[in-house]
Amino acid sequence: MEPLDRDLEEGLLELPSEPMMLNMGPSHPAMHGTVRIVLELSGEMIQKADVQIGYLHRGFEKMCERGTWTQIFPYVDRCNYVSPMLNNVGFALAVEKMLGVTVPERCQYYRVALGELARICDHMICSGAMCMELGAFTPFLYFARAREIIWDIFEEETGARVTHSFGRVGGMANPPTKYFKEMVRAGVPRVLQLISEGEKLLLKNRIFLDRLEGVGVMSKEDALALGWTGVVLRASGVPYDVRRAHPYMVYDRMEFDVPVGTTGDNYDRFMCRQEEIRQTARIIEQALDQMPDEGPINIEDPRIILPPKQDVYTTIEATIQHFKIVMEGIKVPAGECYSYTEAGNGELGFYLVSDGSGTPYRVRIRPPCFATTQGLEQLITGLMIPDVVPTFGSLNMIGGECDH
Amino acid sequence: MSAVEIVLAIVKILILALFFLNMAALSTWADRRQGAMVQDRVGPNRAVVYLPNMAARAIVLLPPALFGVLAIFTSLGQVVGRAAAERFTVNVQLTILVAWFSLLVLCAKVRSGGAINRAEQVFEDVDPRSIFFAGLGVHAIGLVAGRLVPQASWPLAAQVTGFVLGGVFLLVGLYATSRVPDGKIPLRLAGTLHALADSIKMIWKEDFIPKNGDRLLHGLAPILAVFSALAVMAVIPFGNDLCFADGNKNGTLDFSDLANLMATVPASGVCNGFRVKLQIIDLNVGILYIFGIAGTGIIGAAIAGWASDNKFALLGGLRASSQMVSYEVAMGLSLVGLFLIYGSVRLSDMAVWQGQNAWGVFVQPLGFVLFLTALCAETKRVPFDQPEGESEIVAGYFLEYSGFKWGMFMTGEYIELVFSSALLVALFFGGYSLPFLHPDGITVAFGNTVLFQYKMTHLAVSLISALAFFGKTVFVTWVQIFFRWTLPRFRYDQLMKLGWTKLLPLAIANMMVTGVVVLALRNAGPEADAWLKLLGDITQGVVAVATLAGFVAVVVGLLEPVERKKFLASSAARFAAAMGGVKPEPQQA
Repeated sequence: MEPLDRDLEEGLLELPSEPMMLNMGPSHPAMHGTVRIVLELSGEMIQKADVQIGYLHRGFEKMCERGTWTQIFPYVDRCNYVSPMLNNVGFALAVEKMLGVTVPERCQYYRVALGELARICDHMICSGAMCMELGAFTPFLYFARAREIIWDIFEEETGARVTHSFGRVGGMANPPTKYFKEMVRAGVPRVLQLISEGEKLLLKNRIFLDRLEGVGVMSKEDALALGWTGVVLRASGVPYDVRRAHPYMVYDRMEFDVPVGTTGDNYDRFMCRQEEIRQTARIIEQALDQMPDEGPINIEDPRIILPPKQDVYTTIEATIQHFKIVMEGIKVPAGECYSYTEAGNGELGFYLVSDGSGTPYRVRIRPPCFATTQGLEQLITGLMIPDVVPTFGSLNMIGGECDH
Repeated sequence: MSAVEIVLAIVKILILALFFLNMAALSTWADRRQGAMVQDRVGPNRAVVYLPNMAARAIVLLPPALFGVLAIFTSLGQVVGRAAAERFTVNVQLTILVAWFSLLVLCAKVRSGGAINRAEQVFEDVDPRSIFFAGLGVHAIGLVAGRLVPQASWPLAAQVTGFVLGGVFLLVGLYATSRVPDGKIPLRLAGTLHALADSIKMIWKEDFIPKNGDRLLHGLAPILAVFSALAVMAVIPFGNDLCFADGNKNGTLDFSDLANLMATVPASGVCNGFRVKLQIIDLNVGILYIFGIAGTGIIGAAIAGWASDNKFALLGGLRASSQMVSYEVAMGLSLVGLFLIYGSVRLSDMAVWQGQNAWGVFVQPLGFVLFLTALCAETKRVPFDQPEGESEIVAGYFLEYSGFKWGMFMTGEYIELVFSSALLVALFFGGYSLPFLHPDGITVAFGNTVLFQYKMTHLAVSLISALAFFGKTVFVTWVQIFFRWTLPRFRYDQLMKLGWTKLLPLAIANMMVTGVVVLALRNAGPEADAWLKLLGDITQGVVAVATLAGFVAVVVGLLEPVERKKFLASSAARFAAAMGGVKPEPQQA
């Protein structure tokens, strides 16, 4: 009896195989916000990845052209909903740059302290969510508990836990409460303690380290070429921090280190975040020490700052002033400017164009994770499906901000 | 097989099946709620049954009243000799236990809800721990004082203490009934009703089958998953062998003989009558049967992945089959060392060996670690839950399942969890045996020096051994649940690498080394045997002391009043505090 396959070439004996297409997302547990990744798989290996964003697009920039300058604050809150205070401060600084005003010193310290609290929140939740997606739920609970402390402070200061809308052009909505310093000084050490406890569960865990080390490596050159900023860039080895490179507010008076990674893998990104939380705590401490207890929070300019409510009801000047600011908006001189700050996940830039009216002519945002997300495709090609989870998690992509 | 054997088998199946199913529901509850429990909460607790007031009172009153009446009635009959002494001791200890436990509950109620009369105000400032420690002290005093009673008055003492016990039970029941508040009583059982509500919900949910899925295989998969999980429990021994005398001297075991349980059994466990094993069936292939049946569980997962017509499910099914095939090998080999030492693959023989010598975890520590790892992989639990891989492939092989088919997968998974704990107990934690507990009672002996001896009846030893088995299983299940929430999961290739390049060589090495050591010790002569016996007794002593210490530590920890810091962070918390509220604020956390 002859073998059945005597006429066949060797190559034809193998079963024909073609890559499997797999849609990850937009509705998938590991796709923060809503991102869709179309994967071309050979077994579990990713041969090709196509990252598609835009499922959370809300027309942020177009919306901004409708109202007054002050009415944009709630919108920027919802861009990076993990650390809204940093966006608030960033946008306020941009408008103040156009107006050519500087807020009083007390307000600058206040903004630094609140912003850095939000940064702790941002880093902590990013790291915690990454662990949770890897299957370790308990560390996330430690971090969530720590976030609760910070949110309570925010609730006390601003009246809202998440979307504060607390920034104002030329100041803040309210001066610090009586207990502000006391609360932060009691809360931050407790936060750091909880973070250390959560870290203990992770950093001595071989499984966790194996999942992160050497996975999703981004070289220094590629990171720069992609326009990465923030923690992800520093983890690749570029010590660029806006707070250090181009200090704004009172950051030049603060002593802090900029943690830098060596290999640019998931582990470096995770560790840079954790170290930056500790540096941030140092900044908060210095800001509280240097912050004056008395003094104005808002600038003294009736064209920009709303008059006290009591005066609005009793004096005609204040009523008119209030009416002009609320109905027409703050008159920002015609021109354009680019202002950038260090947000939770990188350089947050606002490019503003004003035609001199009370409404912005154009608000262009440079969300940090927009640039970061375009590197995802390069990072996950060649890895396995399970690697998508920590790699994407470590980039700290925020849907609301990316799809601006 | 005679009728009596069939009836006994059915009873044993019922006992085990009920235990496994209830534990599965309970561990589902514990597992899903661990997140909330880490934060000192019970978690969502909305499943509630409202009991009419009279029913609630009856539920509170009936069990103590029943026990009380039972105690009084059993004490009406006369017993003599050793049985009288045992009954006397048990009565005294039970009375003390009921007393301090009731006082503890009452104390907790008074501290949380306030005193309802003047007598209860005493408890307002009492530390619950002092009640516990006082209880322990009285237990010890009771033991010592019991020895002072002369042998002639044992029967009388047994009767009197029985009446006292009954009286205490009735008193506790009546007082607890009087404390039941008026109106309807919500029954929540710490959220455990949620598991019940969930299963009722699952029955009524839509049974969704994908349009291009294979209808037959889609329905078959969950059945296979549950079947294999339930079938393996057949060979688990859950208690001492029971020994019945041949009452009517007809040479066969029949129903009337079941009343003639032997009063005592010698230390060797030899039975002159009929031996009934507390095991559904004692197969001569023993553990190999478990390997065979447990292996079929993967077929359920694999065909669920195939029949679902979904790429994520397919990936999950692939992962499940390859993972379980690889870990089956290491799992089997990690136990070979144990077989060499026990000299048998029957689980009943293993339990006996462990009771007489040392627990498996002491003779095969490496084998234990390897087996535990492989078992985790086999039951598809974190860190080996790739087939499910929640954040990667959504839900893996049961992605396209809903309703009770999904519920069957879940039930199967949790029965497997409980079963794997039972298997660990049977193989490594002494099965149903307790340290120093022999078929004739407690004998604390190291080598040939007997420190303490206490004779017990066959009935008491058998009861204790069965309770020990179930208790150990519950404990191991609880420990296994902890893995899930703490560990991240492996990547698929890391998992394969761990299985083939670490577990398998280690298991083989363990087998070789064990073989050489066993051979050497068998030829070493009687002196070595004596030393080994002493070593075995020492491990038993270690276990006994560690268990007692752990028990005391846990109770003390549970009773410790929670200290809360008084710093209030937010105005909401301050406001709530000013109004007398209890908004938990994070600085306490």
